[in-house]
Amino acid sequence: MPELLEVQQLSAGYGPLRVLHEVDLTVRAGERLGLVGLNGHGKTTLMRALTHMTSWQQGSIKLDGAEIGGTRSLGAGRRTSGLVRRGIGVAPQGDAIFPGLSVRKHLECGAHTKTAWRTRQERIERIFDIFPPLRPLEHALVGKLSGGERRMVSIGRMLMVEARLYLVDEPSLGLAPKISERVMTALWDLPVEGAMIIAEQNVALLTGRCDRVIGMHAGRMRGDVGHVGLG
Amino acid sequence: MDLGLVVYAMNLAAIYALMAVGISILWSSVGVINMAHGATFAVSGYAAWIFTGAMKPVIAGAFGTSAMATLALAGALVASALIAGALCGLVIYLLAFLPIHDKPNFQVRALIITLGLNIATVQTLLWYFGPRNQGLPKIFGFGRWEVLGTRIRYDQAGTIIGATLIMALTLAWLRYSRKGLEVRAMMQNAEGAAYSGISRQATALPVLMLTGALAGMAAALLSQTIFVSPTSGTIPLVKGLTIALLGGLGSVSGALIAALLVGFLEAIIGAVPFLGQRYVLFGTFIFIIAVLVIRPRGIGGLLDDTRE
Repeated sequence: MPELLEVQQLSAGYGPLRVLHEVDLTVRAGERLGLVGLNGHGKTTLMRALTHMTSWQQGSIKLDGAEIGGTRSLGAGRRTSGLVRRGIGVAPQGDAIFPGLSVRKHLECGAHTKTAWRTRQERIERIFDIFPPLRPLEHALVGKLSGGERRMVSIGRMLMVEARLYLVDEPSLGLAPKISERVMTALWDLPVEGAMIIAEQNVALLTGRCDRVIGMHAGRMRGDVGHVGLG
Repeated sequence: MDLGLVVYAMNLAAIYALMAVGISILWSSVGVINMAHGATFAVSGYAAWIFTGAMKPVIAGAFGTSAMATLALAGALVASALIAGALCGLVIYLLAFLPIHDKPNFQVRALIITLGLNIATVQTLLWYFGPRNQGLPKIFGFGRWEVLGTRIRYDQAGTIIGATLIMALTLAWLRYSRKGLEVRAMMQNAEGAAYSGISRQATALPVLMLTGALAGMAAALLSQTIFVSPTSGTIPLVKGLTIALLGGLGSVSGALIAALLVGFLEAIIGAVPFLGQRYVLFGTFIFIIAVLVIRPRGIGGLLDDTRE
């Protein structure tokens, strides 16, 4: 399979703090990659560095062979919307919802390409098929929803446009086990053509479902964990 | 409370709302406290003065002194003020947003730059036009209506109707257009907006032009009651800022309610015999400070029952 994402010597952090230390990572098209590791070991920072959301970063990031990385010490978030438009879908940690907008408006926000905007009605229906609990909440303000419903909205917003690479950060964070199981199942069942990186602390939720699981420790990759010891 | 007082209060509230809503939207979506809003106000007033002055002979030649002439003059006045306001927004975008929007402490830098722009613009106007007040053509005429025994001047009624119309248009644009959706998304969560492919650079320009046009509209309407001068933007700027704060910076409905509250408060304080006009500012600020001490998020915090 061709290389979809090629990360070389990527370091990133916030202010004087260096969180990622020369990380190398390769993701093939269509691959589901699990990223495991303890709190504060760089999973989220890696996700954020891939979309230029860290406060500084250096190193090469190639998406479909095109360089989207580089050295940067300012301008966090400046290129993020452009990268999203180039085909990186993001469901960030903490969901980054718009509290005063309805579920439908959220999903419309996700439809950023011309085609997606024109066909947003069908796309919203498709999201409701993936997450049936959202259907009756179509016009409810997301700021009033529960944590699980917000997570569904956040992931649904990401899925409104077909991306080359999906970044899903801790989809089970703060959710009841039953609901996180449901969210994860929906993620696995997606007919996604692009690759997907899922950062997760709950290794059991990834077990047997990822193509590859990589461990992160202290801002470095610990290599392929494989399925050894994961059942 | 008699009807005249209500109309006066609504008149004030209409002008304040135009300023405060613009400041509020701009702060929460783009992250700029626009101190140059007063300069936008003054420049729009002067643009309308120059343009209507130039257009007067043309309109008189074409329509004589018919009702059409007044209508054309009104159109020219409002359009020139709106366009000048929007152009001021463009200038602010080029000088106070684009060069610094990805630098650290952007908000403070933008505050300083817009404050500098404001002072420079006011001084330029003073230098070029002098401190004299300029009267704009009265597009609503000088008459008054008798309603229920009170007199309502045409310019008061026109201001209230004009401001309501343009506010309704703005709110409808925010609510129903795609760009409006993007602006609202950015107002509520900048990071989520970026992850939805909404570009801050591309959204800031229309927002700045829109809020500039709102200030231009306020200038066009206020020029029907008072004169245009280089410093005429200062009071609307200060009032707009404090009312936007009272409304809970970032809440459009909060700013609207705050504008109404302050408008009525000022009208009432001015009408109370033992207080009078000289206590208006005093009373308003005491009220705003009291509200902010009790509710730091302002009126918008009361309306908002969602959580982050």
